Amino acid sequence: MNSLRTPRPLTTLIVNECSNPNMCGIAGIHAYHYAALPVAQAELRVMRDHMQLRGPDGKGEWFSIDGRIGLGHRRLAIIDLLERAAQPMHSADGQLVVSFNGEIYNYRQLRQQLIAKGYEFRTESDTEVLLHLYADKGTAMLADLRGMFAFALWDARKQATLLARDPYGIKPLYYADDGWTCRFASQVKALLASSKVSRTPEPAGIAGFYLFGSVPEPFTLYQEIRAVPAGAYLWITATGAGQPQHYFDQGRVWANAAQVSLPPAAEIPAFVSAALHDTVASHLVADVPVGAFLSAGIDSGALVGLMRDAGQQQIRTATLGFREYQGTAADEVPLAAEVARHYGVEHRVRMIDEAEFQQDLPAILAAMDQPSIDGINSWFVSKAAHEAGLKVAVSGVGGDELFGGYPSFRELPRWVRRLWLPAAIPGLGVVTEQLHAAFAPLFSGVNPKAGGMLRYGGSYAGAWLLKRGLFMPKDLPALLGEELAAAGLHRLQPLRHINNSLRSLGGNRFPHATIATLESSLYLRNQLLRDTDWASMAHSLEVRTPLVDSVLLQTLAPLLLRVRGNQKHLLAASPAKALPSVVADRAKTGFTTPVAHWQQRGAVAQHWQQIPLLRTENCPWARRWATVVRDAG
Amino acid sequence: MPAERMIMLALVTDAYGAGGGIAQYNRDWLAAIASAEGCEQIAVIARHGRIVTNGVPSKVHQLGIGKGRLSFLMRATVASLRLPRVDVIFCGHLFMVPLAVVLARVSGAQVWLQLHGIEAWERPGFLLRWAVERVQLVTAVSRHTRRLFLQWARCTPESVKVLPNTVAGEFTPGPLSADLQTRHGTAGRRVLLTVSRLAASEQYKGHDRVIQALAALRLQEPDLLYLIAGEGDDKPRLAALVHKLQLGEHVRFIGYVPDAELPALYRLADVFVMPSSGEGFGIVFLQAAATGIPVVAGDSDGSRDPLRDGAAGYLVATSDTQAIAAQISAALKADRPAVADTGVFCTKNFAALAVSLAALSDSGPKKATGEKVKG
Repeated sequence: MNSLRTPRPLTTLIVNECSNPNMCGIAGIHAYHYAALPVAQAELRVMRDHMQLRGPDGKGEWFSIDGRIGLGHRRLAIIDLLERAAQPMHSADGQLVVSFNGEIYNYRQLRQQLIAKGYEFRTESDTEVLLHLYADKGTAMLADLRGMFAFALWDARKQATLLARDPYGIKPLYYADDGWTCRFASQVKALLASSKVSRTPEPAGIAGFYLFGSVPEPFTLYQEIRAVPAGAYLWITATGAGQPQHYFDQGRVWANAAQVSLPPAAEIPAFVSAALHDTVASHLVADVPVGAFLSAGIDSGALVGLMRDAGQQQIRTATLGFREYQGTAADEVPLAAEVARHYGVEHRVRMIDEAEFQQDLPAILAAMDQPSIDGINSWFVSKAAHEAGLKVAVSGVGGDELFGGYPSFRELPRWVRRLWLPAAIPGLGVVTEQLHAAFAPLFSGVNPKAGGMLRYGGSYAGAWLLKRGLFMPKDLPALLGEELAAAGLHRLQPLRHINNSLRSLGGNRFPHATIATLESSLYLRNQLLRDTDWASMAHSLEVRTPLVDSVLLQTLAPLLLRVRGNQKHLLAASPAKALPSVVADRAKTGFTTPVAHWQQRGAVAQHWQQIPLLRTENCPWARRWATVVRDAG
Repeated sequence: MPAERMIMLALVTDAYGAGGGIAQYNRDWLAAIASAEGCEQIAVIARHGRIVTNGVPSKVHQLGIGKGRLSFLMRATVASLRLPRVDVIFCGHLFMVPLAVVLARVSGAQVWLQLHGIEAWERPGFLLRWAVERVQLVTAVSRHTRRLFLQWARCTPESVKVLPNTVAGEFTPGPLSADLQTRHGTAGRRVLLTVSRLAASEQYKGHDRVIQALAALRLQEPDLLYLIAGEGDDKPRLAALVHKLQLGEHVRFIGYVPDAELPALYRLADVFVMPSSGEGFGIVFLQAAATGIPVVAGDSDGSRDPLRDGAAGYLVATSDTQAIAAQISAALKADRPAVADTGVFCTKNFAALAVSLAALSDSGPKKATGEKVKG
């Protein structure tokens, strides 16, 4: 078993400038119940303006005449803030009103199709495409959208509000229905800015945070606040928020992939390359200055190459560096510089030290919308991009989940294969876990999760929990107390929660598909994408993710379905000018930064030192850090 | 409503031939669902009350009163088997939900559970929790009850809705009853009123705190009279408190008041006050407000709903006697509204929402085969 966690690489962020982003925050209140008081305009403004950093350049609001619904919007202007494209935006007949956060990358094609059908456009914005596309197809429109989005759309004819979120959940959207009034916003903390939203804790969210290191959706730390699930929509009608309906499911994509015929083996590299070129091109707007945040990894390097191929001429790259690592194998700066030279881009290095970390820490914790043990790296990445004057960024996040870059793709099938039989013996797993708990403290260097191997390692859900888990269920009483831990585990049902993401795979349990679905539906969604959102938004930076794309997944899933192990070589070879072999052939190492050490020192130590479980010598840093961010949340 | 008209089985504590808030609620519910186009019939089994004919919608069939548990169980089971089919089982009380769930399993029906208040606030035993997790729709009378239910019930919040109590048409502003004035000695006095049971198990109603507030209030309002309507085993404790605080001239226990007399009693009062911390909803607040008198209520339970978060009355921290006195004083000084602010809690709104929820309750998956079971 590898170490519990390695911090997310700092270096897979690519930045550019483009013309029409909607890097925003949305908020709304729907007083749907007949007994509810009309929407208080001041309350909506407080929620909306709590998200000022998400959209510092503009704000908008709309209230229905009867006062039953209000929509708010904060907007970031990249080049122009055209009044006619301001939000919330309504249809010409006033029957539809939308507040939208995100990017629809194929909006131009959709716009042309709608014009051909007779729809008239007043603006060039993708927001207006949403209005017409909804008018044309209703919720079936969601399957046509390629991009990252979260929006609220009021349909006056239906007297209902539609809340929808992109397939992977790149853009966040939360709602709080108190039984009379439903409030929604891009951030949990924006909802909490309303004094009307209950702060009653959600044990499932708290337990989930300690088990996974991030709060598993749809739960939050608060009982009343829920996430609109990724790839889903829901209606708020006169009966309140309805059950979320899924229009996209990664497991189903993998399940359907088994029916698709494959290209000849010789054509596979070209096929993959074409799919990657397509997604990168679709995420970019040409003829604008481009920058890249570059690491020694394959994802960001290959993306720079693909951006070159997509026609980006001026690419500026930046890399985070740490003095502590200078001259050591852990220093990524030299390899990143070599990639920059390889693709002929302008390169910068931004040095980070502990003093800056400690100085930024209060702001980091304030910006962290929900507690996460990751995200520090995303913070400094975004900060560097912001300092460079950039407002839009492209990230290589998602490459490991798609191409099998994580050790979990190698290890989980092995664990399941070897452990399913002993794990099936009733009681054996529990006994070994208890023996481990009794004797492990006598030995140094014993992984604190090793005792769970027989209990959890025999199934993919259990093995994933073992691999990715921050704490194990048995640890929760020591952290939360018996009662809260029991309530949290009962409400969350961790293994069932993990298994739910695999349900639509059906009988198709190819290892790569299974682990890709687990990593994308849980780790990527609840941690990486969420951290990317709050950390970048705090710096008024939009991040785009070409490797987290439903079209790309649908294209590559038939190819990747039956593979075993790391397929990153396909990504490395995809640019016309392939990545340098020193990067492409570099074994994936546990990416480390000194941040892990900084996170345990200074004033934060008082949080974890109070808990005996965390004072043991071999306690992983992330476990200690979890108590710090949880207290801040 | 689906194309095939809905057949429902209602398991209730009481509905017809019975008094009290829950019976009224169930009658409202039955009338609302029966009025829907998509409803074919509703079979009702009650624990209490009696079979009546007047005022019962034609689609409602009273299949008997099962006064004992076994009798109720037998009647409900037989009804579920004899009906041509059952689409939805309405379970009018939390304690009946295991039976409703078992019958639903057999008949392929969906279960709609109704929560009235305090019974749903605390985490119950395993059987009830097991059954609750198998319910398709839950309605609570207030947001507070919904919130507390969701703290222990592993249900999705989207399946738990709020369907509030209504206020009956006879609760309207009107002239003072000279008879009642004489009987209760209210002529020439400013009157505070509380209507509730005086149960030792329900001390959360807050009579004692009103009495304590009265000790201070009488200095400003020497003619103040506090009428306590209702009977129960907590009365001696309250009477002792009145005696201890020497408030005998200012407090009067008027005993049980029949439903028919309630509108006139409310009109007699200047302020209705009940700083309770245990109301599922508090229908008395609606009744009082509907007769046009200001209302003072607790701010931490279902009382917030009839008072619409303070827009329709005075909310107060129930443990703060000084605050209670201050809010009573403010309510005494306030002008009475010309029109009562309780219109939203009319039966028309209730019925429209109940019918929408009925469609929702019947929209879930049917048994494993997707087929409804024919009887």
